[in-house]
Amino acid sequence: MSDYDAIVIGAGAAGGIVACVLAESGKRVLLLERGSAYGYANIPRDHLRNHRLALYGQGMGPGASGHPRVVVDSDGNPQTVLAPHQAGYNNNAMGVGGGTVVYGAQAWRFLEHDFRMASQYGVPDGSSLADWPLNYAELEPYYDQAEWEIGVSGDGDANRFQSPRVRGYPMPPVPDNPSRNALRRGADRLGWNTFLLPLLINTTPYNDRPACVRCNLCVGFACPSDSKNGTQNTVIPRALATDSCILITGAQVERIDTDALGNVTGVSYITERQGTIRRETARAKTVIVSAGAIESARLLLNSASPLHPRGLGNARDLVGRNLQGHYYPTAHGFMPEPMNDNLGPGASIATCQFNHGNPGVIGGGMLANDFIETPIFFRRSALPPDAPKWGLANKRWMRDNYRRWIEVKGPVQEIPNPESRVTVDPSVRDKFGLPVARLSGTAHPETLRTTEFMREKAISWLEASGAEQIWSPPITLRLSAGQHQAGTCRMGDDPARSVVDRWGRVHQHHNLFVLDGSIHVTNGGFNPVLTIMALAFRSGEYIARNC
Amino acid sequence: MPIHPFGSILSDAQATTLRAVLDRMIPADDYDDYPGAWDAGVGDYLARQLQGDLAACLSTYRDGLNALDLESESRFVVGFSALDAARQDEMLASLERGEAQADWNVSPETFIEMLANHVAEGYYSDPGNGGNRDCAAWRMVGFDPRWTVSRWPANRWSANVTGTARE
Repeated sequence: MSDYDAIVIGAGAAGGIVACVLAESGKRVLLLERGSAYGYANIPRDHLRNHRLALYGQGMGPGASGHPRVVVDSDGNPQTVLAPHQAGYNNNAMGVGGGTVVYGAQAWRFLEHDFRMASQYGVPDGSSLADWPLNYAELEPYYDQAEWEIGVSGDGDANRFQSPRVRGYPMPPVPDNPSRNALRRGADRLGWNTFLLPLLINTTPYNDRPACVRCNLCVGFACPSDSKNGTQNTVIPRALATDSCILITGAQVERIDTDALGNVTGVSYITERQGTIRRETARAKTVIVSAGAIESARLLLNSASPLHPRGLGNARDLVGRNLQGHYYPTAHGFMPEPMNDNLGPGASIATCQFNHGNPGVIGGGMLANDFIETPIFFRRSALPPDAPKWGLANKRWMRDNYRRWIEVKGPVQEIPNPESRVTVDPSVRDKFGLPVARLSGTAHPETLRTTEFMREKAISWLEASGAEQIWSPPITLRLSAGQHQAGTCRMGDDPARSVVDRWGRVHQHHNLFVLDGSIHVTNGGFNPVLTIMALAFRSGEYIARNC
Repeated sequence: MPIHPFGSILSDAQATTLRAVLDRMIPADDYDDYPGAWDAGVGDYLARQLQGDLAACLSTYRDGLNALDLESESRFVVGFSALDAARQDEMLASLERGEAQADWNVSPETFIEMLANHVAEGYYSDPGNGGNRDCAAWRMVGFDPRWTVSRWPANRWSANVTGTARE
């Protein structure tokens, strides 16, 4: 007898949606979240400790101690990274809502070509590039559902390169700002198509919450007016309102349990209350893993049993491979007049001119301007390498340039490398004694070539827009994951080459699903969250009907 | 009234030297009214951090500040804080290029770079961190702290939730 119809592990972008779809269809759902249920007051507006600039800490979980990871450096030496805010950890915000509480909320659909990268470009040496087992048209209704149920503002028709959509967005796009106007003039000179970019942010009252108040601490911070739409203020409250969903926070799943026949029976999880650690179990007909591309892979690997000695879904040593995120080619420049009007969010113009069809490189990516950033973030990212780093010259540089800063950047579609991977460390344990995630490998060299191509485009855009003192940080080969982490449990029809099927079901387990960025075969040249959400709506419907 | 906020973690001599360095890293500007690092509270920022997130840097600070005075004495007979601003800047610039005369048991380039980063953190981040007194740095660069009141419902998580309300 099962306690629940479904257990969902992780209350982030995907987990919150699956829990809602299942609960609203009458299923009994247990939603387990290792982080906390944050309120606005619990996520500091600290310029040194947030999810945009995490110098000494960050707003959300996991906690600063007891949750290390191991990162293998370029010389093959494992380094233990103790705290989630530190370089190399590749954290995504943990807590109810996950990254959707503090993200910039760019709401991109992938393009038709993004689902068939291997057919389009061929498979380069050393890469595991593959097509998705589904196409854009199959996902379109669920993109639409995510846009309307979570709430997206945007300009439905203006992106000339977008794939067909049945209707526009529920809210109009963000207002113009000086940087958008300057970049539009530049793009017009170049003959590039641009548009006001789509955001999961209310520009009008929507879903009983107000329009954005246009504060200037958006990406990396919680929204003061509750106008940034995530799962924490949409689908998770809906799931809880059904009385068919229980949410337990501070619950770290230790392992997915299987019986003697190998069937998944539920989970074992750990809670810590007032310093008392308790180990508990829950039984369910179906288990859905939505812990993010690093932690979902870790959990499958940590759930080894006599029948599955290498971990669940890992008979072919595929779990954890193809870890990817996004390289971000970036160009900085300075305009004669102020660009920063102190009105958020700031990100306001994009082009999809170079997502595909670029001579000599594989794929490409979207380019856009960026969010309004804090002065200390500006000091750390926009200061040209040859500029004075201290003294009166540096102070005057800050005074004269902060508001004149203009920036173009964008996520490059990465070429998957099976050697970029998550494993579990043989010796390092977390505070509960569980083996921690170990990250190793680098992006594929083709990703660097595409990034260099896009970097030139970013520079060209600033030049055509009249920016001065343009500079661009160099591109280096490294591991890529971060907040856009993806790929570690890829989808496919062939069990020999993929971890989950087209519904996110682990091939060898009829009642075990993975739903989050892990299942992306490729990660698009876009912020991936709307695709994560669309896949969760689609599979949630499937699970409700079939499990 | 204490002359510096560092209590016992730095000697008076080290604190005096640090104050002089901070005010060359971000000096007061004759051109406008925006304060130098010390008057903006960067000393308070560092005093807090050197006993917190930057505790591991404390010995580097002590060694670097001692070496800075020795460097100054070897070049100009007097300690760093007794030099005029032009000589202080000249010396910091040469150390940034790795040109040291005295014995340094920390890398002078690394020490200068670390100081420049830490000073900027205190000066330009939110006043809750101890520096940027009266939001002077934000007024200088034109960052408008648009404080807004939370409109999150207080009872969002009251139903069907077990567990902690925050970390």
